[in-house]
Amino acid sequence: MNDYTNPWLHRLKWAYMLLIVVTLMSPVFYVMYISFNANGFGANEYDFTWEWYGLIFSDKLLMGALGWTMTLAVTTTVIGVPMALLAAKFYKRAQNKVLPVFLLLAPLFVAPDILGSALLVFFKNTNIVFVTLGDALGTGIFDGWFDLGFMTALIGLIIYTIPYSFVVILITMGRYNPEQTEAARSCGATAWQAFWDIEFPQIRAGVFSAASFTLILCFNEYTRTSLLKGGFDTFTTVLISQMLNTGMSEQSYAMSAFVSFVAIAIIGGIIITTMLRAEMLARQHREVAEPAAAN
Amino acid sequence: MTSPTGAVAPPAVEVRGLAKHYGAVVALTDVDVTIAAGEYFVLLGPSGGGKTTLLRTIGGFHRPTHGQVLLHGNDVGHLPPDKRPTAMVFQSYALFPHMNVLNNVGYGLKIAGLGKDERREKSAAALTMVGLDGYADRKPHELSGGQQQRVQLARAMVLERDILLLDEPLAALDAQLRKDMCLELKHLQHELGMTFIHVTHNQEEAMTVADRIALIADGELVEVGPAKEVYRAPRRRFTASFVGENNIFEGTVTNVEGAVVSVDVAGTNVAVDPDGQDVAVGAAVSLSIRSELVKLTTRGADIATDPGASLPATYKEAVYLGLTTSHLADIDGGGEVVSRVVEDLDEDVAQGTPVLAYWNREDLRLHTS
Amino acid sequence: MDSTTSKAAGGSSVGSLRPSLSETMGKWAFRLPIIFMVVFFALPMALTVVFSVFERTMFWMEPGFSLLAYENFFFSARLNNFLSSMYYSLIAVAICFVLGFPIAVFLRKSVPQVAQHRVVLLFILPFMVSEVIRVFALRPVLQRNGLVNETLMDLGLISEPITALLYSHTGVIIGEVMSFLPFIVFSGFLAMEAVPKYIFEVCDDLGAGTVRRFIDVILPLAAPGIFAGCVFIFVNGLGVALLPNILGGAGAVNAGLIATQAIAALDFPLAMAVSAIMMATLMGLLYIGHRLFDLTKILSPIN
Repeated sequence: MNDYTNPWLHRLKWAYMLLIVVTLMSPVFYVMYISFNANGFGANEYDFTWEWYGLIFSDKLLMGALGWTMTLAVTTTVIGVPMALLAAKFYKRAQNKVLPVFLLLAPLFVAPDILGSALLVFFKNTNIVFVTLGDALGTGIFDGWFDLGFMTALIGLIIYTIPYSFVVILITMGRYNPEQTEAARSCGATAWQAFWDIEFPQIRAGVFSAASFTLILCFNEYTRTSLLKGGFDTFTTVLISQMLNTGMSEQSYAMSAFVSFVAIAIIGGIIITTMLRAEMLARQHREVAEPAAAN
Repeated sequence: MTSPTGAVAPPAVEVRGLAKHYGAVVALTDVDVTIAAGEYFVLLGPSGGGKTTLLRTIGGFHRPTHGQVLLHGNDVGHLPPDKRPTAMVFQSYALFPHMNVLNNVGYGLKIAGLGKDERREKSAAALTMVGLDGYADRKPHELSGGQQQRVQLARAMVLERDILLLDEPLAALDAQLRKDMCLELKHLQHELGMTFIHVTHNQEEAMTVADRIALIADGELVEVGPAKEVYRAPRRRFTASFVGENNIFEGTVTNVEGAVVSVDVAGTNVAVDPDGQDVAVGAAVSLSIRSELVKLTTRGADIATDPGASLPATYKEAVYLGLTTSHLADIDGGGEVVSRVVEDLDEDVAQGTPVLAYWNREDLRLHTS
Repeated sequence: MDSTTSKAAGGSSVGSLRPSLSETMGKWAFRLPIIFMVVFFALPMALTVVFSVFERTMFWMEPGFSLLAYENFFFSARLNNFLSSMYYSLIAVAICFVLGFPIAVFLRKSVPQVAQHRVVLLFILPFMVSEVIRVFALRPVLQRNGLVNETLMDLGLISEPITALLYSHTGVIIGEVMSFLPFIVFSGFLAMEAVPKYIFEVCDDLGAGTVRRFIDVILPLAAPGIFAGCVFIFVNGLGVALLPNILGGAGAVNAGLIATQAIAALDFPLAMAVSAIMMATLMGLLYIGHRLFDLTKILSPIN
């Protein structure tokens, strides 16, 4: 914004942007609203209650699914984010960048149902091939490697989330001056020490953002998980089966709302703390700069 | 730095047949250079000429395509930078932004496993040496460019490695600061007795600091020699064109007679001492002479000039440069000649006036390559 | 100083083997993600073509060569459904671009640098809730006596509720826009990094108007990123089965839904054929994009 822009036009643009955000958020707000209604979804009367939140923990189905969801999400994050980090490092030093870019961004452009179906058939056929191979060799050790279950769902989710982590980490790496690594090496640090002491502290924000984003994406993912999960249920698969059969239970609304409250609180927290920190740093900077000016 | 054993100490750096290719691009071809311990050695040359590649290969940041790098007589080709007895100062202010100045300087000591107090003590001493007392708690972004480079210098020196590599350390600083820092670097090197290898494209910077200069262009080592010699008596045409302000005349050898070679420059015969170089009649050669050694006079003025040491020209213009003034004239038959003088000419010479550019015969140099 | 020299000299003999070993290990570690993506992403996607010509059996498939799956796709209502879902997906892309891209420009141009990323974070907020719930929650908003119709009727703008908002192509488009709009903001935001801020000043100085500036300067510079965002929305509009499933009516069937329905009906070759067709569509689009403007440039603002 420069000195000649019409301030009202500027405000109008801001208003438009916030309107879009609120519109996109409206289903979320709606779920929150329902979650406090004692009469549940679609009822004519609205009575405020905390009841459903209390019932979340007694809902065995939901809690069981929640356990699986958390395990799956955490495992995906623990494996996927370091992989994205390695991939970003690989991309930075690669001579030919087309291959890593293609492989790491392409999953974004493959719709969930298509990726899920392709992986499902791939895993099933791989299993058949492995069993045949094992029979030919007289061993059963290859059997069931890719039986649908936790492993296959994990692979599907890693492929789904890795592009997001990759881009987020790459963006933070873009602000890092690689000569610092060389300087550290020159100071006697090994490649690992240089990464851990010098580069990582500077890209930490990106890695943590990638991790939290991965957690959230996994938590909310439905299509790939439901196609690849095999026996167990996750939060979203429970929701969908409820929706399609009996309609969502009130606890499910409460759970969804609860998750979004937490997530919004985290994002809000990040925004506020980074703003406060920037402010604090600026103040420190001013304080230090003053004696320097006196020199 | 002499060897305590009394035996002849191997040179600090010895580079043998070094080449570096990036795919089809050749950054460095067949470079041989030897740098003695305790020497201030400058790699000078135009941007993209390969001097930084050479420095970074010595430091271990590049693997050479072929050739050897020996530091104190040991082949270090397989060693990463952290295992070499070198420390580097980078062009960009490559300080660690998340650490304060003291921790930046002490980082290498921490890696080496030194205790906190010892680190603090040594780092503070290094900061004093570069004139940054009282800056220990600052963050890098709170320092000026010159101060940041001093911190880099302290960070490299505190390691007590005996070879310091400086990659265009002053390139990002403004002219006055660069001059001051040049002198400081020179004094620091003198005090510490370390081997400094300094890359720059700035000839003034090179002249100020260097004991010896190596000229590097197009991936080739053009010429090595003591700073003064490279300035006063360049052997190669490229050196003459890059170092100092030289007039360069292209010509053809017409006659060789002992220590006098006659060269035809734009239709005029000029005599030059080949200084031991072999030339044959008909060979294309270059002649060079520093512009402050060329004088101009209006033609026909009664000044005794050596007929083999002058060229007829037409006066073009004067460029006032503060301390000196450069007078430009077009050589009759092609080319340009510059005469740089401290005192101004007595009277203004009009454009188009026929003049004679003349010099002392022994100041002219012959280059066969 | 002599001690350092001898230490370094001693270190050279010890270290002669170690770096090469750790170096090779390091190299392979960096390749690990690439290998993973080749084995579990590129390979399965490529194999869809192979599996699509396998013979269908009662519950599974067996190796063979049969074009039955493609016949089932191209000579049935599926092709029409697929083509019309392309058409509606394109409409969703256009709406997303018109609504979303100006936000990206505004962010880059008028919001202070330090605040830009935080504002982008706002558009991540909708992802905090599962797409399943977000799409499902659109039903009570769009239905006959839903939020939109009630509001419009209360305002007196319409007298009859609009029924076409839900269980129709319109419903699917609304769902796509609601789901994918943030992506055009993200990709636009990244793409605008290729447009230096001084460009706006230069344009102002030269007297180029908003439209001229957009067509002549912003569009060519940001094209790779915009293209990527649009392709993303387009293929997801074709491939996310959830949207037509929950919001669509008769005839609102996209490729994703055909694939999942085929899997539910245990017709795996058909599901693979649909996947292969989607792959071909995507490859075709990426190829065109790459020919028009080097797509590796998408990430160049980051480098």
